[in-house]
Amino acid sequence: MLEPFLLPLGVSIRTVLVATVITFSLGIAAARMMVNYKGRFSSLIDGLFLLPIVLPPTVIGFGLLLLFGNRGPLGKLLALFDTTLIFSWPATVVTAVIVAFPLMYMTTRGGFEQVDPNLENAARTLGAGEWRLFWTVTLPLSWPTVLAATILSFTRALGEFGATLMLAGNLPGKTTTLPVAIYFRLQAGQMRDALILTVIVFLFALASLALLAYWKKKARQNGRGKQVAGNQR
Amino acid sequence: MLEISVKHSLPGFRLDINLTVNGEIVSILGPSGSGKTMTLYCIAGLIRPDEGLIKLNKEVLFSSENKIFIAPRHRKIGFVFQNYALFPHLTVADNIAYGLSGQSVPAINKKVAELLEVINIPALKNRYPAELSSGQQQRVALARAIAPEPEALLLDEPFSALDTYRKERLEYELLSLYRYYKGDILFVTHDLEQGFKLGKQIAIYDNGKIAQYADKHKVISCPANRTAARLAGFKNLVEGRVAISRGNTAEVFIPEFDQNLAVITPASMKLVAGQPVMIGIRPEHLAAAGQPKNNTVRCRLERKVSGVTTLHLYYHALKDHQKRYSLERLCLGFDRNYPDYEESNCYLYFNPQHLAIIPLG
Repeated sequence: MLEPFLLPLGVSIRTVLVATVITFSLGIAAARMMVNYKGRFSSLIDGLFLLPIVLPPTVIGFGLLLLFGNRGPLGKLLALFDTTLIFSWPATVVTAVIVAFPLMYMTTRGGFEQVDPNLENAARTLGAGEWRLFWTVTLPLSWPTVLAATILSFTRALGEFGATLMLAGNLPGKTTTLPVAIYFRLQAGQMRDALILTVIVFLFALASLALLAYWKKKARQNGRGKQVAGNQR
Repeated sequence: MLEISVKHSLPGFRLDINLTVNGEIVSILGPSGSGKTMTLYCIAGLIRPDEGLIKLNKEVLFSSENKIFIAPRHRKIGFVFQNYALFPHLTVADNIAYGLSGQSVPAINKKVAELLEVINIPALKNRYPAELSSGQQQRVALARAIAPEPEALLLDEPFSALDTYRKERLEYELLSLYRYYKGDILFVTHDLEQGFKLGKQIAIYDNGKIAQYADKHKVISCPANRTAARLAGFKNLVEGRVAISRGNTAEVFIPEFDQNLAVITPASMKLVAGQPVMIGIRPEHLAAAGQPKNNTVRCRLERKVSGVTTLHLYYHALKDHQKRYSLERLCLGFDRNYPDYEESNCYLYFNPQHLAIIPLG
């Protein structure tokens, strides 16, 4: 009886967890790279990273289909290993990562840029290389922002629908995520099921964002002295 | 020995300096925006200058000619930042130990304990920077900078964030730390008094250039030019012409006063009659007299401003019809009962002992 709800919930949780881990790593790496990169193409690369925020899901979905289709460059590459991405579970992860990445990247980068440059300079004069100062100074000091970025990415990945439908399709128990399931229940006139799934997604997203807000409030109360003193005095 | 000779341009600003520090404490003195901090950043490698040469004890840190630029982490230079830049997420002990990575744990612990002893706060080693007073923060910043035993130590306005009361105590403590640290020290300040107290040599900065670099006693008695004189506290500066020069004394004619002033010529200076010079005297060296005598100028008191323990008096020379120069006199101490004659017409005494002579052109 619960199966119609548990199946999409299970797919979504698996997809979102894996996508969040990947987005987390890629976002931090990209943010760290772009903070230090002052080259000629920095604006262009920055724009490219943020593009998924503004592009319609259909554009992303169609673009991915072109890339990963039988005749697409990445599709041909995967075919060499006898595998395909389209209409498979990993496709839900790929689309989730692509739409969540800009949020992770943008927020994390903002956090890195807010670290007092003199703290990083101090680490440099004390013999730290760029990697050591990133791990011991920049990242720990922007940890609250990185965590916020992660929760935002998590909720965005959870809500992904359009591109997922186009690339991964609707295979129950395999690629049918919660938003996709809601759409097809509605199409089939199963209003009650659609409503229950909607409530699940709603509560999930609300809980994540409330946790984020609560945690931020806590961090501000605890860390007030610490952060302010380090930066201002 | 630290040798710096760099040029660096920013929009609207140009740094062009030459400085040698030879195992002593040099105060860099100048108004904000004169390039003091930029000099320190160039030495530490946090800014890459457009051109020049930086050498520390024979090792070339930067050379535009040979395309050498040693990264800051390899420079063996300690830096105390203006806001101290302590790592807020690390304890006092971890802050001090940050520059010691690569050494064995017992060695690090020993060094940290030793430095905590030196800065006199062993009990605070597990506190976070935010839990320290600004004076304690400053001492931790200092301990952290000298922990890796750098060959030169750079301090960027370490007292600017403190109030007067704390400043004086910490200046004293900093002086005692100098005994612990052996190496070149460059100390940036905009306060002449502080630069004099803490440094042995003073480099006076003005708009990206060094106006004068000499022993501090020389800087405050024999300014090299108008800018150096102004920044070294000679607020009263008047131009004149040498009337008579005989050996170690001379008379200088001052058009604004319409009279001669006698001066003592420093041994290193050669004055010839007719030569344009500038005469400078500090406000606190200007004395008032009721009667005319040698080297007095007849003046009228125009304005007085009293501070807590100071009294500033502003005069115009009676012969100065265009009123181009306001002479400033500073009385120290609580004695407000200065004689009545100061009110209207009086004589200001230019003591030859305290007059600085700056050759012009």
